[in-house]
Amino acid sequence: MQMYRVARRLSEVWRVRWSWAIGTALVCAAPPVAVGQETAAFFKQNCYSCHTIGGGRLVGPDLKSVSQRKDREWLVRFILNPQAMMDRGDPYAMRILEESRGVVMAQIAGLTRDRANLLLDLIEAESALEKSQFEGIKFSDRPFTELDVETGERIFNGLTRLSNGGPPCISCHTVRGLGLLGGGRLGVDLTKVSERVGGRKPLSAWLVSPATTTMQPVFKSYPMEPEEILSLVAFFENSAKQVGDDDSVAPLTFFLLGLMGMVLVLGLFDALWKNRFRAVRRPLVAGGEMRTEV
Amino acid sequence: MENAQYLDQLLFGVLPYLALATFFLGTIQRYRSQAFTYSSLSSQFLENQRHFWGMVPLHYGILVVLAGHVVAFLFPRQLLAWNGHPVRLYILEISALIFGLLTLVGLLTTLIRRLGYSKIRTVTSTADIVLYLLLLVQVASGVTVAVTHSWGSSWFAASAAPYLWSIVTLDPNISFVLAMPFMVKVHIVNACLVIGFFPFTRLVHILVIPNPYLWRRPQVVRWNRAQDVR
Repeated sequence: MQMYRVARRLSEVWRVRWSWAIGTALVCAAPPVAVGQETAAFFKQNCYSCHTIGGGRLVGPDLKSVSQRKDREWLVRFILNPQAMMDRGDPYAMRILEESRGVVMAQIAGLTRDRANLLLDLIEAESALEKSQFEGIKFSDRPFTELDVETGERIFNGLTRLSNGGPPCISCHTVRGLGLLGGGRLGVDLTKVSERVGGRKPLSAWLVSPATTTMQPVFKSYPMEPEEILSLVAFFENSAKQVGDDDSVAPLTFFLLGLMGMVLVLGLFDALWKNRFRAVRRPLVAGGEMRTEV
Repeated sequence: MENAQYLDQLLFGVLPYLALATFFLGTIQRYRSQAFTYSSLSSQFLENQRHFWGMVPLHYGILVVLAGHVVAFLFPRQLLAWNGHPVRLYILEISALIFGLLTLVGLLTTLIRRLGYSKIRTVTSTADIVLYLLLLVQVASGVTVAVTHSWGSSWFAASAAPYLWSIVTLDPNISFVLAMPFMVKVHIVNACLVIGFFPFTRLVHILVIPNPYLWRRPQVVRWNRAQDVR
């Protein structure tokens, strides 16, 4: 029995060593393509909604030959934590912020120094090409119609569901003119979003894979279709033209409605349990006093 | 990795498992060794007036709010479909807020009663005080989130439910909650603390089923010593 156990242990060790050797050989043989593909996919998921490589500016600057504009160490530090660079008042970071109309680049979740370096390698390699695969997504530039605006509003409100299953915008965002309680307030007010990010093209590109830390994990699995993006952009451009008061009182209205409802339910509880047991001694004492008076 | 990232990993990737482990091991151990302490030790006999205004809103409020969280966790797609019409979304959110406020009012009444009456204070343990404070943070943060970061029912289904499922399936994905506002993070972390502290408190009465207190007729508990006297 003991012999059997030893033999089995040896066989396991042998198997593990073989697996390790084969695995190592595979990793050594494969990495350039696999790592390159993975970095390209990462760029597409996290950077492409705001940047092109050779396709012009979107929300953020065109990254073609970015490593010739700033040194590698600065770029790595900026990619890892853009907000920290701006908080420190770094002049070049402040210039980027100004050119991006105050839109701060989101910090990318799980980004490491190694990954940032790989991204910069990819950008350098793509910059050297005559036509990069990240030159920018082509969007329809036909004029928006009233139907586009209406469809966009329905998508925003959730009346028309996003075809790939993403949650409606109203869950977290509001725009001017939505009515009594408005939209959600987890995210920013989108009334002037088109103006803020620089117009139709950057906004469309951004919606392809929303890159904020909150939206990205949600829309990574449920990307929006080009027609849906077009309708939403039409709605956002139209909402920027809306005049009148914003719905900043909506949270107070919501709270007051909740408070009134609560008071009503408390009244209901009191009525439902009107015959509830209240006390033993007090009614007896009260009864005794009445008899004394008589 | 920066300190903030370590903290996020700890609070949202590790703490939930510590809380769940303590919950399961603690409740089982307590039931095995002290089964008769599985009770909330009612103090209705000592004070009956404020007890009603604490107990009733607190229990009905928390049951509805907790049920809402469970439904959003189990059926997020269906909940988003329900919220697909703004009027339905508003009705759901106002209803949830009403029950959240009922819970808050019930909890505050209970806390004032516990600390304000000498008889009740005598039967109040340190664990009770810690629990009430944890519950107060939990409910107050929940109501604050509902009002200031609307619409929770929808974004819970889109962001919090996938995070909770990632915890349950032992593949924690904290990216869903990393950028959430501070008050939402307080609500999540404090929920873990409540779950972890659960086995050491009166909350264990929740696990003692069946629990007909919700629908039974009110009962009056009286001492009957007539036989002893004879």
